Amino acid sequence: MNEKEFNAMLEKYADVTVKVGLNLRKDQRLLVRGLIEDAPFIRKVAESAYKAGARLVDVAWADEKVGRIRLEHAEEETLSDVPNWMLARYEEFAKRGDAQLAIHSSDPALFDGIPAARIAINRKAMYEKMVEPLRKYENMMNWCVVATAAPAWASKVFPNLSVEAAQEKLWEAIFHACRIDTPDPVAAWREHTQKLIGYKDYLNKKRYSALHYKAPGTDLTVGLPEKHLWSGAEETFKNGITATVNIPTEEVFTLPHKDKAEGVVTATRPLNMQGVLVDGFSVTFENGRAVKFSAKKGEEDLRNHLATDENAVRLGEVALVPNSSPISQSGILFYNTLFDENASCHIAFGNAYKTSLDGGDNMSDEDFTAQGGNKSLIHTDFMIGSAEMDIDGIRADGGREAILRGGEWAFTL
Amino acid sequence: MSEKKHQEMLRKYAEVVVKVGLNLRAGQRLVITYGATRGVPLQFAPLVHEIAKAAYTAGAKYVDVVWGDEDLLPLRISYAPKDSFSEYSQWQIDAVLDKVQNGDALLSIVGSNPDLLGGLDPEIVSVMQRAHLERWGAISQHVMKNAVNWCLVAYAGEAWARKIFPKLDAEKAQAKLWKAIFETVRVDQPDPLQAWEQHIANLRARADYMQTKQFDALHYSAPGTDFTLGLPVGHKWISAQSLAQNGVTFTANLPTEEVFTLPDRNRAEGVVSSSFPLSYGGTLIEDFQVTFENGRIVKVSAKKGEAALQKLVETDEGSHRLGEVALVPASSPIAQRKHLFYNTLFDENASCHIAIGRAYRFTLEGGEPMTDEQFMAHGGNTSLNHVDFMIGSPKMDIDGIRKDGAREPVMRGGEWAFKVK
Repeated sequence: MNEKEFNAMLEKYADVTVKVGLNLRKDQRLLVRGLIEDAPFIRKVAESAYKAGARLVDVAWADEKVGRIRLEHAEEETLSDVPNWMLARYEEFAKRGDAQLAIHSSDPALFDGIPAARIAINRKAMYEKMVEPLRKYENMMNWCVVATAAPAWASKVFPNLSVEAAQEKLWEAIFHACRIDTPDPVAAWREHTQKLIGYKDYLNKKRYSALHYKAPGTDLTVGLPEKHLWSGAEETFKNGITATVNIPTEEVFTLPHKDKAEGVVTATRPLNMQGVLVDGFSVTFENGRAVKFSAKKGEEDLRNHLATDENAVRLGEVALVPNSSPISQSGILFYNTLFDENASCHIAFGNAYKTSLDGGDNMSDEDFTAQGGNKSLIHTDFMIGSAEMDIDGIRADGGREAILRGGEWAFTL
Repeated sequence: MSEKKHQEMLRKYAEVVVKVGLNLRAGQRLVITYGATRGVPLQFAPLVHEIAKAAYTAGAKYVDVVWGDEDLLPLRISYAPKDSFSEYSQWQIDAVLDKVQNGDALLSIVGSNPDLLGGLDPEIVSVMQRAHLERWGAISQHVMKNAVNWCLVAYAGEAWARKIFPKLDAEKAQAKLWKAIFETVRVDQPDPLQAWEQHIANLRARADYMQTKQFDALHYSAPGTDFTLGLPVGHKWISAQSLAQNGVTFTANLPTEEVFTLPDRNRAEGVVSSSFPLSYGGTLIEDFQVTFENGRIVKVSAKKGEAALQKLVETDEGSHRLGEVALVPASSPIAQRKHLFYNTLFDENASCHIAIGRAYRFTLEGGEPMTDEQFMAHGGNTSLNHVDFMIGSPKMDIDGIRKDGAREPVMRGGEWAFKVK
């Protein structure tokens, strides 16, 4: 790709982000969260957004190096400080029903070598002072998550290449996974979205009471709440705008019942937790709780993470992705949830989306949990799918139907 | 300079910024930003990283960086809806206010593109500028009172370097500008901290002399300039160091060569000519003259950028008046470099200058706690703006006029006309 071709691709990617991802409306304001290394893409997004009639494109720039310098040098008792304005910034946009774009291109090895205890203090503070207070603004903005081939991330994905070559290769993978290399990316997305909506509608009609997963190292049954709702591709927000919240997206997902998970599940891909990798791990569930786990790498970090609060050990999401998804077929381990979760069936520790339960959007936490929804400060996806995975849907009467066989959809629409 | 040597100079520079400029205390938070670009330009990251390390090593509680991207401003002007330019995000103000209201330190880093908004619709630029200044005013109020230890330093940004050295390629221009910055902030010295101690003492002796004299007015004469400027009772001559209200002694500008105070907002008479171009809001204003009557600007003319100058003066009532008068010898190390920096932090330290707009509260005895009305009653000026412009040259003479009307030379041929110990 020469510079001109790359620039043209970047513009198409920005257009897909603004038109399909955010579905940005005229006169909305847009808050972008990205790394300082993302500037070339963010400028294209700003141009596309202003052309679509945005009143203001504001960027919450993050510099990971300053973050690392802090964890290396600052006094431990200061690591739980979070400036007030970080929350106020989101509130300022959320209250108006503006749009929000998050760019996930973090250095997966950012915190390598930093003591786990220091990372944990910082992470807990971010959950308590940012993630949790922001829950009350959930779904007030049309939002979208995308990624750019930032240098540190690219080098992690392609460690044997020069930084520049790694970035080029990662950009190609991103453009392919996001259908930017098709003749009309916006049209390709409309078609893809319709297909995911078809799977979602099929599953919603079935009203399964549980899913049964079977694969090497995995024999897991996950109950579904009576009022569970399957989602795919699109979401409609409180400001009335329907948007495609993840670019790329290949998944159809709902929430599990927080008290109903039994058996063993083995991860098929490493889990990247904000700079720390957890690899080769299995988890055993009883009555919905993870009661035992082991990991070849990062076991202590996973243990700390799941100790964040009481319900971090319960599940909050179950997602279905065929093994033939373009991301899975690329064979690349992205070390980035946005991509890796779309390569594989996955489940998530921690918080469930209220929108995954019929009427959940307007429910109190108490009503939500009474119906089986999980509430936690964390929401951490991990990958369990493979070409060897079979999934059955279990009906209320105990009858079974095939959902996935050998990692692929077992029904046709 | 090798990559390694450059990194080492950045490290030393960061140490001077944290120890001499901010004099950061253990337990303070530090916020780093730059108003004009709505945050620190992204390309300044290498210096920001060194400053963050130095600050945490000095015991900083938190180093909070507000980033801004220069390129987004012209992009917005080109593509955003016509009626949207007063939109502003309040959080970037709150991020800084949160610190200056709580006794924490503030660092601003200049060095962005001086021509960033040049050639764009001046109406839109002015609406955007106004929306910004109206909010930023809440921060300026605290800075003007020296509420906390604050500091202004420079980074050799690419576009800025090319503006100064237009015949060089970007890399060479930046290298040359870095050399100028490192030398003028004395980080090329064997012991930069010691060099600063001595320089600060020299400037203080000049300020003390002017303070003892208690002049009632200054008279400027130079080609195109015949100008008398009143000094209010209680004016304080300030140099390098100041004592902030949070108890920290700091050096607000790196580099600094000036000795300055506030003029009486109602007493300026005559004509003053600029001796350097003024870069304001991304537009360059050149060869301009300003005429005063009773302290008020009654006429401006410029060979280039007159509309921008007119807009600046029309911002509010206070921008028709002056808020600072500063003395800098024509032989200052920055003037000796014989080129324009297109940046006030440097150019103001190359030449005597005055500022359109608000006065620093700390340049008036007891000025910090005063209300705006009280401050103005004592001769202090208030405005959304504070814009320095250069008037000094080797042909400038300045007299101090005593209360009894007698005159004493302050500068002759652009140089100090008195001796200090």
